[in-house]
Amino acid sequence: MPQPHELSDREKEDATGSYLMMFATTAIGLPLPIVNMIAAIVYYFVNRDKGRFVKFHTLQSLYSQLPVSLINSYGIIWAIVNLVKGNPFTNVFWGYAITAGIINLVYFIFSIIGAVRAHKGRMYYFVFFGKLSYYQAFRKEERDESGFVNKPPAF
Amino acid sequence: MKLEIKHQEKYSRLELLLRTIFGFFYIMLPHGFLLFFVSIWGAILQFVAFWIVLLTGKYPQSMFEFQTGLLRWGIRLNARVMNVSDGYPAFGINATDDYTSLDVPYPERISRGLVLVRLFFGLFYVYIPHFFILYFRTLFVFILIFLAWWAVLFTGKYPASFHNWVVGQIRWTTRISLYMKFMTDKYPPFTGDEV
Repeated sequence: MPQPHELSDREKEDATGSYLMMFATTAIGLPLPIVNMIAAIVYYFVNRDKGRFVKFHTLQSLYSQLPVSLINSYGIIWAIVNLVKGNPFTNVFWGYAITAGIINLVYFIFSIIGAVRAHKGRMYYFVFFGKLSYYQAFRKEERDESGFVNKPPAF
Repeated sequence: MKLEIKHQEKYSRLELLLRTIFGFFYIMLPHGFLLFFVSIWGAILQFVAFWIVLLTGKYPQSMFEFQTGLLRWGIRLNARVMNVSDGYPAFGINATDDYTSLDVPYPERISRGLVLVRLFFGLFYVYIPHFFILYFRTLFVFILIFLAWWAVLFTGKYPASFHNWVVGQIRWTTRISLYMKFMTDKYPPFTGDEV
């Protein structure tokens, strides 16, 4: 597990940037939540080889972005369908919208904390996504090498 | 910032004609298509970098290199479109080119106050004065490009002074881009020459 003093500024910056992908939609000025998800995916693939610390944070950002983007996309589609077909905005819709708003707020707060921690070279684990990302970023591949022909030299 | 576009001893007349007649299809279209998407990514990173610079006073190095690479790609393309370089521009952020080069020193610190000044007043103190002059300069550069086209066609040589003017145009706009993208604190000078 890399400690803060072992990480370069560049690794910390790259890890920080991953959490800010939630602003991608704002950056290009389109109300399409899916853009955030695409940005998080692109950012992950561009940066995943820059060390396990960066990989962990980009992965955590990506995983946490997925459900939020899906929830927002569904809400946007629902609203557009209502507007196009002239359907009323029912209480169910507003219930969904408020829940989605709360989820976004929680996601925003956690992401900002994650970004600040990453900038300091610290780990920060989201609920569920943190463990999942940690497992994927830091796991050691356990391979059965008994059947291998080429082996490292024996000491 | 150091931007150079090599002035070649000889320019290919065949390439000149090819670029003029088919350049849209084999240079502009593929590069434009890719640059469209890469530029969207650049805009996203730019937005993110803005907040990081504002909060920390430091431009993230990876994002800085990406933006520099994007500028290099644009310069490679512009050099061919303006006929100041032969050859086919390479694709990609990390690609290199024999004829064009752009070196941008990475700034250790960026003034946060200036970031806000640029955001709110950049239009007034950067874009308006620079583009007012660049408008007339661009008209003049178009005339030079037209004249240089004939010069290359008949002599195979691009007049050096014309070349300087056209390269100066690219250099000037690149400096403005760097400043407005918060990649330098140095206000762009009102000249296309190297300073």
